[in-house]
Parts: sequence; structure tokens; C-alpha cells
Amino acid sequence: MTKIEDLNNDHTNQWCPGCGNFPILLALKQAIAQLNLNPKDVVMVSGIGCSGKTPHYINTYGIESIHGRPVAAATGVHLTNPNLTVIAVGGDGDGYGIGLNHFIQAVRRNINITYVVFNNMIYALTKGQTSPTSLKGTKTKSTPHGAVEYPVNPLALALAADGTFVSRGFSGKLDHLTNLIKMGIQHNGFSLIDVFQPCISWNHTQTYDFYMNKTYDLQSEGYQPNNKDEAFKKAREWGPRIPIGIFYKEERKSYVDELPWAKPPVALDNIDNIDIEPLLEKYY
Amino acid sequence: MAVNKLALKAGGPAGAGVFTIGAMMARSLQKMGLHVFYTADYPSLIKGGHNACYIRVEPDEIHSQLQIIDILVAVDKKTIDKHYKELTENGAIIYDSVEVPGNIKLDDRKDILIFPIPLSDMGREFGDKIYRNTVAVGAVTALIGHDLNKVNYTLEKHFSGKKKKPEVINANKKAVQAGYDYFKNNFKNIDFKVKIKELKKDKTILLTGNDAACIGAIKAGVKFVAEYPMTPSSSVLHFMAGNEQKYKIVVKHTESELAAVNMLCGGAMTGARSMTATSGGGFALMSEGLGMAGLSETPFVIIESQRTGPSTGMPTYTEQSDLRFVVHASQGEFPRLLVAPGDVDECFYETFKIFNLTDRVQTPGIVLIDKHLSASAKTTLPFDTSRLKIDRGKLMSMQDMNNAKNKVLRYQITKDGISPRPVPGQPNGLYVSTSYEHWEDSFTTEESHMRIAQVDKREKKMLNIKEEEIAPKFYGPKNADLTIVSWGSNKGMILEAMKFLKNENINVNFMHILWIQPFPINKVKEILSKAKKTLMIEQNKNGQLRGLIRELTGFYIENTLFKYDGRPIDPEEICDKVKEVIAK
Repeated sequence: MTKIEDLNNDHTNQWCPGCGNFPILLALKQAIAQLNLNPKDVVMVSGIGCSGKTPHYINTYGIESIHGRPVAAATGVHLTNPNLTVIAVGGDGDGYGIGLNHFIQAVRRNINITYVVFNNMIYALTKGQTSPTSLKGTKTKSTPHGAVEYPVNPLALALAADGTFVSRGFSGKLDHLTNLIKMGIQHNGFSLIDVFQPCISWNHTQTYDFYMNKTYDLQSEGYQPNNKDEAFKKAREWGPRIPIGIFYKEERKSYVDELPWAKPPVALDNIDNIDIEPLLEKYY
Repeated sequence: MAVNKLALKAGGPAGAGVFTIGAMMARSLQKMGLHVFYTADYPSLIKGGHNACYIRVEPDEIHSQLQIIDILVAVDKKTIDKHYKELTENGAIIYDSVEVPGNIKLDDRKDILIFPIPLSDMGREFGDKIYRNTVAVGAVTALIGHDLNKVNYTLEKHFSGKKKKPEVINANKKAVQAGYDYFKNNFKNIDFKVKIKELKKDKTILLTGNDAACIGAIKAGVKFVAEYPMTPSSSVLHFMAGNEQKYKIVVKHTESELAAVNMLCGGAMTGARSMTATSGGGFALMSEGLGMAGLSETPFVIIESQRTGPSTGMPTYTEQSDLRFVVHASQGEFPRLLVAPGDVDECFYETFKIFNLTDRVQTPGIVLIDKHLSASAKTTLPFDTSRLKIDRGKLMSMQDMNNAKNKVLRYQITKDGISPRPVPGQPNGLYVSTSYEHWEDSFTTEESHMRIAQVDKREKKMLNIKEEEIAPKFYGPKNADLTIVSWGSNKGMILEAMKFLKNENINVNFMHILWIQPFPINKVKEILSKAKKTLMIEQNKNGQLRGLIRELTGFYIENTLFKYDGRPIDPEEICDKVKEVIAK
């Protein structure tokens, strides 16, 4: 059995005390332990930003890639060895800004990875600039007169790209988040878990209290995540009440299901004596 | 009369299918036991514009095009106007008299034999004007006394992939016959100066640089190809996708070159040999990922086929102006491998080799070619695979890791600079493949001593490649009046020029620089120190390799032939330059 302790290591954590990332890290460990995944078979892939340090704080294999590219790197791991459990993590700037293209493409491809986005609506590691999910009017160092743009709506984007597992959690609701991550890992296809993550250093609006007061669990209100129109409506709900939980879920073949030759991991193929004579035939 | 020595050009608007003429003639003449060189010149569009393809055959091995042709096949007037002056004395023009009505008069070239044939009308009889190309093949076959059976055999092979293949093959065979008969019936007693006679020779293969590099990669066990299409590298993606099932390769047409290179960072981490192909613009997008691979010590291969830059430049034309870019691309310092094959054989063997070397030194490798090599085809002997051995370096096996007593440190400081490389799924090896500077166990650090230790370790890895593994190639006599130095596809044109120069008793030799990183400093110094006069040939404005040679060896190569109009350097231009330099 994999225990939480198996996933701990002695690396010094460099997040701010009280950071909303800590519960997400714990939820990830709990999900891996509760699913009894062997740490050697898990690859955590991050980009750059505070979330980027996550693979170093969890005792599995990992990639700490460059800014915006964790989903691309995770896709490479998964396609060459689908036996591994691949979890991509990143921030809102990393995934919905510089890396948005990879996110949308992975959703429509239904790549069988789990993508956990630490969404704090701010650039934290670069010390407080506007992010793609900052609300219109948000005043930051890079938008001192208020952000002009409307924010990206990641759930609606994932729905529009025919995502098969579209969900949102809140780092203040640990067990709920752990469950979402577990379901995401078990889902055959691309799982989006957007997570409200209060940044205690740079975002003084979307705080723990803000989310505690407003978020409600869709499933506890009997919402069924099988209707895309309803899911779109819920994805746009933002006001006194903000939904979390599973917005939409659908069973569909994942990308490698369509490539039967790649199901046994190509990374493990023996390449010692490959016969190229059939390739030369047409050139004689 | 010349036997088996022929150069032919076929031209017309883009989309008219004139490349079929070149391909059919090239393959069917190869079947006669001849050596072939095939190349194409086309603008960046799908319909209209001017396309031309060129084939040259000889009894013995040939390496490039020449400026002159013996036969011109034209399906429009523009082709005649643009190319008739390239014809040798008593050369021939076969043209479409439907598209080009009236008589063709070439007052300055009365020696040229002119054969008007209603190619379009004849083509339409078989269902579509496009068949005029195979009608023309029939006419050329008659003109040079070529064997129709060989043409028909080639037709079957050429069109066997098409959907309605029996109908298509039959219609084409009839079209060839019609062209052949028309020529025989309408142009009697023609004694053309070139005749084709079958030779009994060793079987050859006729293929492009891109295809040869792909086959080298497949022989090396490539298992993951992530690529975004970009001329002139796109055929790599097509080749790999066409063979993905047979050779169990995951081939992904990605959303961008950014995605491609970062997917490789993931794919290579699992132990799958991984590669991409692109041109300069795509490589620009890959440069950050290249650095990630350098720091995280992730081996994969990038084929970079250069075209005319900067920016979009002239997308379907050739150049060698990305050398300095790929040598220095990405921020910071890290080792990389760089090889620049000069012909189809080197595309095959060096691509195979670079996979082994990237695994050995755990760093990315680049195969730098150019459009002229990517897309031109040449005959060569079937590749000899008997001595090719896969070497994965310190990639750990499951058994190694099961037996490991302690945790294996991915970035361990070792004597040779190379660390053990476990892969996900193996016990005792957990690590993070990271873009940050790191401790031996991969955790991030900014500590001075570890930073220095890791930088030194990465640089030291290159010392595991011996100079004899990356030596330049040397052609011609040991002592010569002039030493030519060059790289990449220029090799073919230089070897052809050397044939002419030898006939004129002009004594030159040639150093072909193949590996650029690591650079064979001692060997290059040794050759240059013996040279009387030196001539650098490159397809760029600033002499990028010339500068690098000076930086690394101190040698200043005095004379230069630099070309940057997008067209390959021709052997004739090289001969002229050599004579000029020797006479100085």
C-alpha cells in the first residue's frame, strides 16, 4: 500500500506560509495514496511559477518544464508510456496564458492525463501582475489602472473543446479536492481540475474567506454532469454563489485508444535489430 | 553520340504535374542501371507560378546537377523562354503545341531540335489534361531510345498508392504509348545525340536526403516523432506517419514547434528515442525547449532543414544561413551535438549515429541539412547496416535499477560527467527532469559550488566523443594547389566540379566538414596547415562556418565563394572560382 509518508521527501518547501498550494499538494498525495499508485509509476509534470515547484515536494518521478509547457511535456510522457500515471500541474498564467494553446489541444485530443491548475488569478512568483483569469478591473502592478480584458473562462473553454472531464475544486475544501483528483486520474481521457487557490501574498480579493462564503458543491445539490448546455451555464455562474465539483463528464476513447500500436509502451520496445529492408524496397 | 549521359529539365506552371515527368524518367533510367540525380525548383504556392524539375543520369555515380541540359520538356511558353539557353548544342525541346500555339523560333539557337506535340489534347483523350505529362514521358522515351518496359514498370510502382490504381495505371500506360508512337510517327530519322543503353550494374537506391535521414532514424529505433509541418522538412513527418504502424512509432502532428520540442522533453524522459524535424522558423520556436533539454540532460534529435531566410524569406529555396543560429540557440551554455550531412548516405549514417551519441552524452543533437539535400534525390548503394549497433549509454535497465542498493542520483557528479539515467517506472530512481539548476538528486539549487560542479559536469560530457568519431572527410590528392573547405549539400557540387577540374589537370583537394559540435579541431588544423591556398564555399552571405573555423582553429580561409540567391551552387561556378583563385 502506498502511504502519504511514501510521497513525502526532505526538500525544503519554498512556498509562503499559508499558501493555497499546500492543501493542493496534500490532496495530490492523498489521491495517489488512496488509489494506491506506486510512486515509481507516477510522473508529475509542472511548468514555471509557484506551482512549478510541486514535483519537487512529492516523491514521484517528475518534470519541471519551462513556462507554459507542462501539458506538452506530459503529453510526451503519456504517449511514449501510457502505463504511467501522468499528472500535469500549473498555474493560471502558465496554463491559460502562455500555454493556452497546449491546454486546448490536449482537451480536444482527450490525452489521458490529469491537469490540475492552481488558479489564483494573479502572477505570484513574478510578484503580482495581472493573469488571464484576473477579473476585469483588477488593479495589479502591470495594470495599475485596472485590467482591461475579460478573464479567460477555463471551464467553458474546455467544454467548447469537447472536454470529457471538466471540474473545479477549491483548495480550502481538501477532501472534495482529493476526490476530484482521484476521479480525474481514474477518468480515461483528459481531466481538467481547475482549483481556486488563494494567493495570500498578492491577491487580497479572492481570499480563503471569499471562496468559503461563495463556493458550493454542484453534486451535493443533485447536479448531474451529463448535459453540456447545463455545464456551460454553470461554468458561467459567478456571483454570490460559485459552483465547484464536476461540471461535465463523458466516456469517450482517449487518444491512445485510437493508436493500438502505441498501447504497449513504445518506450519499452527493443530497438536492437530493426529491419529497414522493407523501407528500401520502393527506392530500388 | 553520347551513351547514357543525359540531363533533362521539365517545366510548367505549379499544379500541372510536371514533377511526374522527372520522377518517371529518373526511376525508369535508374532501372536501366544508370546513376541518377533529381532535383526540383518550385515557388511557395500550390497552383500557377513556375515549376521545374531536373534529372541527370550517367553510368557512374553522380552527386549533383549541372547548369546544362540536353532535353527540355515544356508544357508552357514560359518554360521555353526561361530555360532554352541551358540546352547543350543540338539539344532538344519537346513542348505542348496546344498550350504554345504557332511555331517556336529560336534565332540565337538554331541548333536546337524542336518537337511540337499536342500533349494536352492527347492527355485529354485519357480522361484529363494531366495525362499530358505521361504522354511527354513517352515522347522522351522515343527520342533517347529508352526502354518502354522500364517506363511501364515505373508507372505501376509510381501510381500503386493511388485510389483507383488499375484505371490510373492503365490510362497512364496508354498515354506513354501514345506519346511514344506520336514521336515515332511524326519525327522520322531523328538521330538524337544521346542514347540510352541498359547497363548491368549493382542495384542502387534512389532517394532524397529527408527520406535517408528518416530511415536512419528508424534504424536507430526512433519511437516518438513530434513535428509541425514546415518546408522543407515536412516530408519527414509524412514519412514517419506513413510508417508509424509498421514500426510502432508514435507520430504526432503537433499544434506548434513549441509543443513538438516540449513533447520530446517528455517522450525522451521515458527512454523512447525521440525526434522532430523543422526549418529555421520552427527551430526558433524550439530554442527554449532546446535549452531545457540541455539543462535536464535529455537526449533527442532535431532535424533542421535550412531554407532561405531570414523570417519567411524564400520558403522553398535553399540556403545555409542557420549554422550560427543552431550553434548558439537558447540562453545559457550547454553542450549540444551538431552534424551537417552532405549527401543521402551521410543523412542515413549520421542520423543513426547522432541518436547513439545523444544517448551517450545525454544532450540534444541537431542534424543540419538544407532544402537542396532534403528534397533532391540521388542514387547510391543500399545502406550497409551490418556494423550499426545501438548504444544507449548510461540509460538504466529495469534490472540495473532493481539491483541498485541506494537511490540512484540522476545528476550525480561523475568522473566522465555522465550520470546514470533511470526512467519512470523503475524503482530507486525517482527524480525530476528539471529546467532549473539542481543538486545531484535533481532538487533546485542556487548554491555556488553545485552550480559550478553541474556546469563543469555537463561540459565534460563532450569529452566522451573521440575526434575520430567526428572527423571531417577528405577528398582528392594529399598535396594540391588549392584546398576547398565546405559543408552540407555543397559536397555534391564540389565533387562534381572536381571531376571537371581533374580532366583539366587542375589539382585541388576538398575537406568536407561533417561534425560541427563537437568540432574536430586537430584534424581541421592539420589539413589546413598543409594547404597551399584555401577556398571556403558556403551558401550564405557571411561565411558562417568560415568564421567558426577561425574562432576554433585560428585559421583564416582567404578565398570565398558565397552564394545566397536560394539556388544551389553549381559545379560550373565552383570550377570558375577555383581557376580564378589558382591563377591569382
